[in-house]
Amino acid sequence: MSSSSDSSSREGESRSKWLDAHYDPVAGLNTLSSCIALADLHGDGDFKMVVGDMGHGPYNMKLKVYKGTARMSENALLDLPTGVAAFLMDQNEPRTPAIAVASGPFIYVYKNLRPYFKFTLPAMEVNALEKEVWDQAKEDKIDPVTLKEMLESIRDKAEIPLSVRSLRFLMLELQEMEAFVNTYKQQPLKRQTVITCMGTLKKNMADEDAVCCLVIGTESGELFILDPEAFTILTRVSLSSVPTLLDVTGQYDIEYRITVACRNGNVYILRRDSKRPKYCIELSAQVVGLVRVQKNIMIGTSHETLHGYSQKGKRLWTVTLPASIMTMSLLEQKSRGIQAVLVGLKNMEVHLYRDKNLLSVINTPDIVTGLCFGRYGREDDTLIMTTQGGGLLIKILKRTAQFEDKDTAPGPPTGQSIKLNVPKKTKLYVDQTLRERENAVAMHRVFQMDLYRLRLSAARAYVKALDASLAPVSSTMQEPLTLNAAVQGIGPQFKLILNLQNTSVNRPSMQLLISFLYDEKLYKIKPAFFKVPLLVPGLNYPIETFVECCSDKGISDIIKVFVLREGKSTPLLTAHINMPVSEGLAAA
Amino acid sequence: MGLFDKLAGWLGLKKKEVHVLCLGLDNSGKTTIINKLKPANAQTQDIVPTIGFSIEKFKTSSLSFTVFDMSGQGRYRNLWEHYYKEGQAIIFVIDSSDKLRMVVAKEELETLLNHADIKHRRMPVLFFANKMDLRDSLSSVKVSQLLSLEHIKDKPWHICASDGLTGEGLQEGVDWLQDQITQSNPNNEDLRR
Repeated sequence: MSSSSDSSSREGESRSKWLDAHYDPVAGLNTLSSCIALADLHGDGDFKMVVGDMGHGPYNMKLKVYKGTARMSENALLDLPTGVAAFLMDQNEPRTPAIAVASGPFIYVYKNLRPYFKFTLPAMEVNALEKEVWDQAKEDKIDPVTLKEMLESIRDKAEIPLSVRSLRFLMLELQEMEAFVNTYKQQPLKRQTVITCMGTLKKNMADEDAVCCLVIGTESGELFILDPEAFTILTRVSLSSVPTLLDVTGQYDIEYRITVACRNGNVYILRRDSKRPKYCIELSAQVVGLVRVQKNIMIGTSHETLHGYSQKGKRLWTVTLPASIMTMSLLEQKSRGIQAVLVGLKNMEVHLYRDKNLLSVINTPDIVTGLCFGRYGREDDTLIMTTQGGGLLIKILKRTAQFEDKDTAPGPPTGQSIKLNVPKKTKLYVDQTLRERENAVAMHRVFQMDLYRLRLSAARAYVKALDASLAPVSSTMQEPLTLNAAVQGIGPQFKLILNLQNTSVNRPSMQLLISFLYDEKLYKIKPAFFKVPLLVPGLNYPIETFVECCSDKGISDIIKVFVLREGKSTPLLTAHINMPVSEGLAAA
Repeated sequence: MGLFDKLAGWLGLKKKEVHVLCLGLDNSGKTTIINKLKPANAQTQDIVPTIGFSIEKFKTSSLSFTVFDMSGQGRYRNLWEHYYKEGQAIIFVIDSSDKLRMVVAKEELETLLNHADIKHRRMPVLFFANKMDLRDSLSSVKVSQLLSLEHIKDKPWHICASDGLTGEGLQEGVDWLQDQITQSNPNNEDLRR
């Protein structure tokens, strides 16, 4: 019940942030986030979408370009695309970006949607034994069956792996071998690796429209950085595993960081001028998504978790997701400087996280496999999603959409995770703690003794005050009286008001006198002696008199007020009045 | 208003002034349309994206229009609402070839019509389904469907297909707007209230 209302409120929430611009469930796009790029291909301010479509099986692979809701053009691709990137190659005007498509061992560069250049990865060393065997086959010295046996023995022992041709040959059935050998034996044997991932790196400027180098990762466990104009290899770094996902930041000529997720479940962080990875994050599961948000790295793993790491490889937080991650991408709203990470999940939701806070959930009609956020058409904040069934979904972030920073996911409040700034323990503190621990009993006894003494002296003082009727509340049962006094004026003339009250239920007080005790050098009181009228129980009797301060030295003293019974010298009650300092000048 | 001005107004010598807001998404053709409505000798050749807004004036047979040509770029759209009070009519321009952003136009229109300064006023709204010359543009009927204009019940509105480059369809729209404004104030009162 509550979950359904919760999900409906979520839907409403996502609807209030995103506009559904387009949905084509049969767009026929089979692609991944790495094969989607947005670029102003014609320099007219209308951004196009370039998609490397993997087709169905090994056929129909295409490079498709979309303008608005319609497909604008398509080019056939020879092999599966593994990455599509739009980048500026040169400073020439108009500044239209080229498209790089990584596929097999090649990078195809398109300009104006026409093939422009093909870069081939450098060939690798061929196994000498393998080469010899093929040379023999070329001269027809050995038949295909012997060739197969020899290649198999090489495959099992050799340090350098076999070439693609040999591996393909070993897969064949007996009757196909002859034809295969005859077709390929005349061609020189080559061993080549394939590209697994591709990214772009600004060359020497941080501008939006700066020239970019291409960064590629290969199946041989290497990273290459290519020069954008000459396509020469600028930097080559060896990794201990095969890179699968890349994130690049910085500028080639100044300083850059490349974050690489590898097939062995590790994430390496490389920096300029480092031959080997600078930091390494070891994860317990395979990395399925890698996104940099400002200075932190968000890593999605196959264990349905999303981790946040600092750029030095320190883990900051972990979030458990409701389903497995299909893909991840960065959401950057440049107009407001918001960066967050989009996570496409298998339960047909796309979650938006800023740090560990879930900002929004988008429900999709199919499982999202490709995500791309950026400027499309003329709209800055467009989210493009491709689905498993080949659908294309385009949403636009509303101009008025606000992302609350608070965590919408259930869990402990954020206040709990705030670290308090606890100061370090000083030597003094440690010594005191030790002392307290060792002498606990003695300390407790000393404290108890002092406490009893304090109570005793307090009790004694109280008894003494009662005996002498020094308190402003009378203690005798016969004459229950209270007295309070107020002083008015700033001096040298003060008005002294005494409020006398009989607190008994029904007994009036009679024959009472009021007298004052004061320093005669300092004060003059006129009159200094009263007869108190009959006190009716419960009523308040204000009695006024005037006090004049005779000193101009700015000193004050206490005036004692006694309430007496006629014929008795011990007062019924006593009040001490702290006189204020006379502000005015003395009568002179 | 002086006695002479009033007299001139009665005699039809002086045209009434009307303040009109020209709104719509960026690149929909607002400035181009306003430029085309100006007298031929005052038209400019180069139309560039408007920054902030610009004030343009043109005259029809009975009215003198002062148009606030607002910039349609996302970052300037929050300026629109500051001029709603002064406007007596709205021209809303739509790029009928931009199917992708039709939802954005719809969203902006809804925000506009639900604004406190607009909601309870009966001000005429003229829609231009612009860029009819483009091959993949939608018809004005389709545009009004996509924007669900049929839901606007409390304001007179009219949509006409237009081509800001040749000026096709503009006169029809402006004539309608002029009729609406003169009808709602038949007594030739000062429209500025």
